[in-house]
Amino acid sequence: MPEQKPVRASPLAGVARPGRFGSPTKTPGVELSVLHPASIVTVIARKDCADRLRDALAKLKDCSVYWAGFQQYYVVAEGRADDALHRELMEQLSGIATISDQSHGRIIIRISGPNARQTLAKGTPVDLHPDEFAVGKSALTQMSHVVVHLTRTGKDTFEVSLFRGFAESFWEWLAQQAGEFGYRVA
Amino acid sequence: MTSHRLPQGGLIDRSAALQFTFDGKHFSGHPGDTLASALLANGKRLLGRSFKYHRPRGVISAGTSEPNALVELREDGRKEANTRATTIELYDGLIAKSQNRWPSLNFDVGAVNSLAAPVFVAGFYYKTFMWPKSFWEKLYEPAIRRMAGLGSASKEPDPDLYEKSYAHCDLLVIGSGPAGLMAALAAARSNVRVILADEGSRLGGSLLFEKEEIGGRSGLDWASEVIAELASTPNVTLLPRTTVFGWYDGNIFGAIERVNDHVAVPPPHEPRQRYWRIIAKRAVLAAGAEERPIVFGGNDVPGVMLASAVRAYSNRYAVACGRTAVVFTNNDSGYRTAHDLRACGVAVEAIVDSRAEKSGAASGVRTVHARTITRVIGGKSVSGIQLNDGTRLECDLVAMSGGWSPIVNLACQRGAKPQWNPDIAGFVSPPTNGSLVAVGSAAGKMLLSECLADGAAEGSQYGKSLAVPKCRDEAFAVSPLWWVKSSKGKAFVDYQNDATADDILLSEREGYTDVEHVKRYTTTGMATDQGKLGNVNAIAILAEVKGKTIEEVGTTTFRPFYTPVSFGALAGPFSGKHFQPIRKSPLHEWATDLGATFVDAGLWIRSAWFPKQGETWLASADREVRNARERVGVCDVSTLGKIDVQGKDAAAFLDRLYCNTFSTLAIGRARYGIMLREDGITFDDGTTSRLSDDHFFMTTTTANAGRVMSHIEFCHQALWPDLDVSYVSVTEQWAQMAVAGPKARATLQKVVDDVTLSDTTFPYLAAKEITVLGGVTARLFRISFSGEHAYELSVPADYGSMAARAIMKAGEEFGIAPYGTEALSIMRIEKGHVAGAELNGTTTAADLGLGRMMSTKKDYIGRVMAGREGLLSKNRQCLVGLRAVNKADRIRGGSHLLKKSDSPSMANDQGYVSSVAWSPMLDQWIGLALLANGRERHGEVLTIFDGLRNKNFLGEVCDPVHYDKENTKLHA
Amino acid sequence: MGDATPQRPRSTDPAAAERWFDYVYLRSNPKGLLDEYAHHSGGCRSWLVITRDTQTHDIFAVTTAREFANKRNGVAT
Repeated sequence: MPEQKPVRASPLAGVARPGRFGSPTKTPGVELSVLHPASIVTVIARKDCADRLRDALAKLKDCSVYWAGFQQYYVVAEGRADDALHRELMEQLSGIATISDQSHGRIIIRISGPNARQTLAKGTPVDLHPDEFAVGKSALTQMSHVVVHLTRTGKDTFEVSLFRGFAESFWEWLAQQAGEFGYRVA
Repeated sequence: MTSHRLPQGGLIDRSAALQFTFDGKHFSGHPGDTLASALLANGKRLLGRSFKYHRPRGVISAGTSEPNALVELREDGRKEANTRATTIELYDGLIAKSQNRWPSLNFDVGAVNSLAAPVFVAGFYYKTFMWPKSFWEKLYEPAIRRMAGLGSASKEPDPDLYEKSYAHCDLLVIGSGPAGLMAALAAARSNVRVILADEGSRLGGSLLFEKEEIGGRSGLDWASEVIAELASTPNVTLLPRTTVFGWYDGNIFGAIERVNDHVAVPPPHEPRQRYWRIIAKRAVLAAGAEERPIVFGGNDVPGVMLASAVRAYSNRYAVACGRTAVVFTNNDSGYRTAHDLRACGVAVEAIVDSRAEKSGAASGVRTVHARTITRVIGGKSVSGIQLNDGTRLECDLVAMSGGWSPIVNLACQRGAKPQWNPDIAGFVSPPTNGSLVAVGSAAGKMLLSECLADGAAEGSQYGKSLAVPKCRDEAFAVSPLWWVKSSKGKAFVDYQNDATADDILLSEREGYTDVEHVKRYTTTGMATDQGKLGNVNAIAILAEVKGKTIEEVGTTTFRPFYTPVSFGALAGPFSGKHFQPIRKSPLHEWATDLGATFVDAGLWIRSAWFPKQGETWLASADREVRNARERVGVCDVSTLGKIDVQGKDAAAFLDRLYCNTFSTLAIGRARYGIMLREDGITFDDGTTSRLSDDHFFMTTTTANAGRVMSHIEFCHQALWPDLDVSYVSVTEQWAQMAVAGPKARATLQKVVDDVTLSDTTFPYLAAKEITVLGGVTARLFRISFSGEHAYELSVPADYGSMAARAIMKAGEEFGIAPYGTEALSIMRIEKGHVAGAELNGTTTAADLGLGRMMSTKKDYIGRVMAGREGLLSKNRQCLVGLRAVNKADRIRGGSHLLKKSDSPSMANDQGYVSSVAWSPMLDQWIGLALLANGRERHGEVLTIFDGLRNKNFLGEVCDPVHYDKENTKLHA
Repeated sequence: MGDATPQRPRSTDPAAAERWFDYVYLRSNPKGLLDEYAHHSGGCRSWLVITRDTQTHDIFAVTTAREFANKRNGVAT
């Protein structure tokens, strides 16, 4: 069969088209970008291994670790070969954690800009004030009737990850919410 | 029509003119006007007709409580009925129509109802229109709807955007009058997060129209300074045009911001309204107080207005509501109207003060004490009044003040009842748990100095205390006068519902004496204003006739919403296509390319059939089934729930979840499993595979995926937290496709890397991690829902469509074709496999012929309760197959089963048809059914009764497996 | 999601029929404080036990179902 290297298809291909959208009069206050292809791996502490897992996660390099529930984390990286992060974690965290690849199951959307917080506040009941939701903090919440994982990755930058099946529907909602500020799609 | 616009003053921009139409006539106003003020300025007094009697009605209030001046605003899809002219901000091009008049406002046929008034007294609906019954539908109801209806709704879709948003704060201040501003300012200076919301277009509350003096400046200047400071303070959010309508659990407040109701069309991408959910650590209710009307004869004639509204129109909007006024009051505040009217050049004929004693308020106007107005002279407009001593006075404006009611609605929405305060003759807020505190006149503080101090005290709880500025207090004393008993003509308690004092008395006489019953019987307090003006008067009158105190009578129940909220705002962006999220399979693109017709399955949209040109759904599904059974087919089964279960105790955990055993499952093998609910009824089924010693891959039905996950979480976290097991949904990680048919193996062999697919290397129920297409991670399962030699192949979702295309290509030489959920369903019915219609929350595993799967060697969810006598009874309805005796008869789902010669009745019912399908293999309609003692009845002929179509015909009971009972094809 | 007080009996307990009925079907529905299950299904997916006043809806305590079960079973966490 074909020896050509398979290419990952983004669920937002053809939906998240680059350009400037929304309010024609305002300087775009929101920038949206789709992080694809990305690597996302669920890591859950095995029984009585929570502390060891936390220590092990702290030592990981070239990836981000986000809280994702009770003794549970998402390890996220960009630019890795497909399945590489998953395999790496399987080796490094063997015995202390359950590792489950979600790279294809979830899609990450980055929302940044001066109106990013306002845009997201239209969806989530989580308090996004920087005193309450600081850089590096994550929450599992619902936006537009979809459960999402939300992380503040910068002062005005957030990342939302969600099941790929909802990606298109969620994108349409997000774009509409950003519309009044004007937005750019990278 | 002459202008009533005062030559100077007011918060209007005279330099700009705004054109608008009312009932097709053109008028002009200014920025800062409301529709009501602009109409009044144009001398337009008659704005609507009343609900029952079609009496002429005009503006009564200057705000939210308005019961009369309701109009249809805008046109077409933007039309909004029952909007209050008193709160509509005027904009250029505004179009409004009066309501409830036919054929025109000036000449209304329904006004004859006034002559028929005895028919329309309280309870008229119940009494008059009950008999004969058939008249109701045909005659009364349409007639009442036309005559008594309020505005009409648009039937076109609303083109505007609506939005929802969340906000958080330490302190939410509701109302921006003196108390609210002080509370917000004090808190803001302590640097806590403050939201100040006010329903008005401009912040300032009563300071926008009352002539006050605060801190040596005018009240308005003081307010402007405070608002400017708040606006420049970080962590303070000002929300004008925002009505806080509800107080909910968790101290969450619902509010509607009218972002763009003050323009004809919202700017592109901006919402018309925004529905806020404000999560507040604390909240201050500084909503002020509402002035009450007095109940006297003709108190609804256009030109009878609330005294405070008359002040608002003259001071804020520079409109004289009349040329010659009479003030009718039971308290000191009415004197302010006389004073302010004189100041702007309106003659005040007299103050009629119902109190015998002299007021502390200065007036300089002729004042008669211990007098009341018994009658208003005039039809469409006031021309004079008559006092209880017979005196007649000429006037075109009556400014009435029946005292003040603190606006306590929000504080009472969570069950607490307001408390009567006789000193101010009003209900005040009940004590709360501290998360919402009323201040200022909302708390019954009727002096300006009290309001400022009260607000400052609440806002100063965050650290910084705020000095209370000096101010001048106006006198406030009230001596209740609820209604003028010697009134001539109708004396209205509730304007909007046309409920009079007599109606309250009638209700009491007829035995409806509880305040909640009086409300229902008379309709007092219902509809868009929810009794903001009338309720306290109604309660007081009821108390008087019952010989009880107002406190004893009490209020009706306060509920959200404080003012009407549009459905558009509540729906927000979630309407039409976006009513609920759409969930697409990773194979959606592949199926679309092949021309699939899709079907909603929960939130998923699934490929249902793949028609060729001109094919019906049935012809398509028929062809798809034949193709899969004779050659090879591909079906998207990605929507199945997929759960990764891992951990040392994973096997033990699955043993407790499933009624059958998984700890004995070999690595690399799959097993069909059934989960029960704790009450012994079947819950879900699916295939679970063991990938390694401590790693299982579970599948669930599409419909129950979420429920099974929640169940697993409950069982582990709440029942057995000691187990070392973890689980995570990987439903979306894997695109999964069934490849079924005699050529399935040959097709897949071309796709997989380095695996030989044979019965020895890959036997039935094998489950392995492999690679496909030159290195793509995959999982291959030899399982079958169709009954064919079949596989399910999972690949990471981003590769899904690519892999499906590759399979199609590989199978081309074998005649491969895609099949959808219809064909899938036909094949499972042919094979007697159960699905949602059989796993329906009433059946046990034994009912479905799967009783032998229930282990007797272990504990599992549902084990004990499944052993209950009733669930073991021989007479239970259990799964059977069903075929029509006459092949031409079409079995319909939901049909009932009867013994051959029985007539349809509940007593004769033997069971029902749960699933039906057209079977291409049997060339007839077949069914699965749940039949009493069905297992013992194979071969019996019985009656299939389709009650919906009133048809019955004979059917024969058979084994649920209609096709290939020996499973020769499965193992081929 | 319902009263958290009833405790699942053991299947193997032969004299437990009554206790099973109580566990599956009987809830006391008290006026006042109630320990009840809640599922953070739109979030971190933890089952919680919330102590709520059934009259006022005020919430006085929240713990995870894990801790609640461990405490009840005498397991140290």
